[in-house]
Amino acid sequence: MTASPSPAPAARTMVELKGVTKRYGTVEALQRVDLSIGRGEFVTLLGPSGSGKSTLLNLIAGMIQPSAGSIVIDGRDATTLPTNRRGLGMVFQNYALMPHMTVFENIAFPLRVRRLPKDEIKRKVDEALALIQLAHVAGRKPRELSGGQQQRISLARCIVYNPALILMDEPLGALDKRLREQMQLEIKRLHADLGITLLYVTHDQDEALTMSDRIVLMNGGRIEQQGAPEELYFKPATTFSAEFIGSSNLIPGTIEATGEGVVIRTAIGTFAAPAPDGGLQAGVGAALLVRPENMSLGALPGSATVTGALEDSILLGGVVRHFIRCGDGSTLIVQELNQPGRPVPRRGETIAASWQPQHGRLLPPAAA
Amino acid sequence: MSAHPASGRPGSGFVSTAAWACYLFLLIPSLVVVPISFGNPDQIEFPPRQFSLDLYRAFFNDPSWWGSMVQSLVVAALTTLLTLVLGVPAAYALARSRLPGRQLLRGLFMMPLLVPVIVLGLGLYLQFSGWGLLDTTVGLLVAHIMMATPFVMVSVMSGLHHADAALETVASIMGASRPTIFFRVVLPQLRTAIAVGAMFAFLTSLDEVVVAYFLTGTSTMTLPVKMYSSIRWELTPVLAAVSSLLTLLSLLIALGIIALQRKAEAKA
Repeated sequence: MTASPSPAPAARTMVELKGVTKRYGTVEALQRVDLSIGRGEFVTLLGPSGSGKSTLLNLIAGMIQPSAGSIVIDGRDATTLPTNRRGLGMVFQNYALMPHMTVFENIAFPLRVRRLPKDEIKRKVDEALALIQLAHVAGRKPRELSGGQQQRISLARCIVYNPALILMDEPLGALDKRLREQMQLEIKRLHADLGITLLYVTHDQDEALTMSDRIVLMNGGRIEQQGAPEELYFKPATTFSAEFIGSSNLIPGTIEATGEGVVIRTAIGTFAAPAPDGGLQAGVGAALLVRPENMSLGALPGSATVTGALEDSILLGGVVRHFIRCGDGSTLIVQELNQPGRPVPRRGETIAASWQPQHGRLLPPAAA
Repeated sequence: MSAHPASGRPGSGFVSTAAWACYLFLLIPSLVVVPISFGNPDQIEFPPRQFSLDLYRAFFNDPSWWGSMVQSLVVAALTTLLTLVLGVPAAYALARSRLPGRQLLRGLFMMPLLVPVIVLGLGLYLQFSGWGLLDTTVGLLVAHIMMATPFVMVSVMSGLHHADAALETVASIMGASRPTIFFRVVLPQLRTAIAVGAMFAFLTSLDEVVVAYFLTGTSTMTLPVKMYSSIRWELTPVLAAVSSLLTLLSLLIALGIIALQRKAEAKA
């Protein structure tokens, strides 16, 4: 364990997973996953439960071993390295603070494990406590603190020893909405200020969109799609991505090419759409994605228009959501900004909804 | 507040009376020795017609009596210590590892509870006679550790059940080695469970008469064995003083266990 005299210029990649597979018996919990996380990057693993995001996290943490593939952390092959030698930090949903230690002792624990001198431990813990603005509770036991405070302590406990990568497993899942939003901003601030590398696991798409530099969307043990939040939102590659992130109208149909461009023939009409990204040719099945907020009530010239019966309108505060039942029995969602004095359509009324054709997006049909 | 319906429920008076009657029925035989022990030093007499401390004086003046008490306390203390050293890591291993045959091992550790004590005593007697362990403190210790282990295991495993395994994971991620995790994270959380297990172990050894009767001789005799022999040969009233002392000690330990368990519950 000799420290190199002049550390090599920090590599850009902090974590590199290559072909990582995890099998339990015949079940593949994770199928040949390649993932790289850059130094200082905030990456979110997003996906429904059972999609493999926790398996991936546990593999990186070293709590389980991959069946195949390799894991490199901070330039070192960590595939079979024991957990305690990977140089990681982790924040759990249930805080995982030591109940028999004071707040100070909890934050000092990783430093004591590293056998730092006493005065240095004191200085670092005090710094970390100041960073999360909880210096006044240093002498208390964790159970005397609120959930939000406990989670900030567990953040400080990670930050204090500057691990290569901090893993967060649904860290805000136990907090109420207001506190969760506050903590999201606090975690973002710490990430920006300290340049830490973060791998954040959540099933909450809003949280993923709010916080991440990059979202890795998992589905059925594979990476479905990854990219910046805007990219995943505006350019989903599959119907799964489209449905998991944001709300969406997916209209199934068949692609047809005309002289002017691409259209999709569906049960509720034929609509022009931007040319698909690739792989979708005329004559094949596809789904047209239109986000509810890109639709509006009423027919507009030059727009794609459908008509149907208004099933319901629900008020969500700043926006109103209309559910329109089309002729083929499918329901479209239209979302509009709320305004005082806005005309309120009646339930059952026949109503038109329209969208700009360039706001549609053609996707390969959902795998049956 | 003035008319609380629950307290006026018909039958509640009967239930509590019956409960108290049962308690007294169970308690009185143990407690009746206490007044006797302060009474007539020449014969067992109830109710006592005089008050004296002669029986306690007799007990502490007779080396064969207090000698066996010292032996009992030494054996109980060593049993407790060694059972903890064996039982706590064993319980931790059984509770947290993926060891194959865990259930079988757990069953084996519990066996001494299931085997009739007289069978255990006879088996150990036959086994130890060949090894030269009869009438030795070591032999008795081995037997008592066997008998006390299930109590420590049960208490510690239930403590581990309440201790969050994520704390061990997070400690490992923070860089702690296995020994560090065991001593700095696991053990401190098990303090109450270990204390309760230790008291059970101490009581198990202190009260144990059957196996000790098989295994001990004149030089290693424990207090319960001495009492039993004395009932058979001389029936001295000193027994009342000894019983009172043992009852007091057991009572203190039992109260200690209750207090600790209550504390653990309040924390949970």
